Amino acid sequence: MSAVVVDTVTKVFNQGRPDEVVALADVGLTVADGEFVSLIGPSGCGKSTLLRLIADLIAPTAGSVTVAQKTAGEARKQQAYGIAFQQAGLFEWRTVLRNVELPLELRGMSRARRRSRAEEMLELVGLAEFAGHYPAQLSGGMQQRVAIARALAVQPPLLLMDEPFGALDEMTRERLQSELLAICAKTGTSTVFVTHSISEAVFLSNRVVVMSARPGRITEAVTVDLPVRDDSVRQSERYFACVTAVRRALRGGNVSTPRTEEGVEV
Amino acid sequence: MRWARSVLPPVVVGVVALAAWQLTVTLGRIAPFILPAPSEIWREMLQQRTNIWQAALASGENALIGLVGGSIVGVLAAMAASRFRPLAEVSIPFAAVLNALPIIALAPILNNMFETTSSIPRRLVAAIIVFFPVFVNTLRGLREVDPIHRELMHSYAANGWTFAVKVRLPGALPYVFTGLRQASSLAVIAAVVAEYFGGLQNGLGSRITSAASFTAYPRAWAFVVGACLLGLAFYLSTLLLERLAMPWRTRLIA
Repeated sequence: MSAVVVDTVTKVFNQGRPDEVVALADVGLTVADGEFVSLIGPSGCGKSTLLRLIADLIAPTAGSVTVAQKTAGEARKQQAYGIAFQQAGLFEWRTVLRNVELPLELRGMSRARRRSRAEEMLELVGLAEFAGHYPAQLSGGMQQRVAIARALAVQPPLLLMDEPFGALDEMTRERLQSELLAICAKTGTSTVFVTHSISEAVFLSNRVVVMSARPGRITEAVTVDLPVRDDSVRQSERYFACVTAVRRALRGGNVSTPRTEEGVEV
Repeated sequence: MRWARSVLPPVVVGVVALAAWQLTVTLGRIAPFILPAPSEIWREMLQQRTNIWQAALASGENALIGLVGGSIVGVLAAMAASRFRPLAEVSIPFAAVLNALPIIALAPILNNMFETTSSIPRRLVAAIIVFFPVFVNTLRGLREVDPIHRELMHSYAANGWTFAVKVRLPGALPYVFTGLRQASSLAVIAAVVAEYFGGLQNGLGSRITSAASFTAYPRAWAFVVGACLLGLAFYLSTLLLERLAMPWRTRLIA
């Protein structure tokens, strides 16, 4: 079973106008259940557009998007995914706990149940004692963790993330990466993760999908098979080989598979 | 200590200004009908304190009813205008016209529309004055929605009503209160000035005009001070309400 199927999708903005832009051309992507897929590429390659298509925040010009065997629109209406963006986007007038409760509230869950679920989610991201705080009282990294807790609150089978750690410092970023992996492993969530950090993509993903711009399309998919995902793996040869493979794919030209690259560039 | 440092300077300036005023009037032998001395005004205030209090209650009631009425209409109109774009395009110039309307010109006309003992014209004048700042600020607040909040609510499949109640309105609150703060003092000014054009003789404005026509200038000034205090009370109440309505902001400051 696949969590996401993107079938020859084309997205054109401002169609028929002089400022027409082909954001995506004939893109196909399948994400398996429980798989962690990163989308990486230069600015303007359409990686965020692809994520928004999966989220049904925008509609494709041609082609179809299927999420958990449903159309993207149905999946959105059933809250079949959780989403997080580069900015935490918390509601400043709600406490941390009530921010996490919001998607549950809109699902019509009872007060007591959504409270306990939200507390559980805050526990998961290590912010249980900040439940009563307002977002403005938290650091950027903490706010982003609240946003992740909120995305996970409905316990969705799919998690969509658009550069969620992009605005954070390196240390916070690495810690949150490990936390995210642990959460995904625990919950069995499939994830589509947009980033422009090669190391982040390799560390997190089962598969790194490399895209290029004008028009946005997928040029290469690099499979990452790291034995474990902890901080020690960031120093391993296998890790560096994958980083090199992704970098090569990003630079385009004659792309080789990671296996033949292994050990050469390290 | 910090409290003293923030309170002391304005108090000192105020005392110095009052002393200078007193000295100018007594040493310059300025006639009391041109400018009465502060001591004179103070004596009148003590003497007239029940009258000032009663008049302030009467004017305050008109101002409050006008403020509440005008604010409710202003917020509702802004909500409607933010919901239907064509309505906003039509209503903004209309609101600007309403704002350019001089109440001085309006008050006598409204007085003629109602009975002479009616307080309605004064309340209407206050409400009209209040409407514009509340409407404009609220509309701006309602329109400025964080694009991420918009996408998030869309991803939750929230309908228009839910979006308005859970995102638009709380997000617009700071703007609403900016409008209310301006409106609160304006409401008092409008209610007092509207009394200059006849009608019931129970408010601060009518007291000021009648004292002035009896050449009792210190008494007129005493009522002016009363009007000033009333405006201040309205303004501070609005500030307090703002703090209560937006606890996420007070905590930030505290």
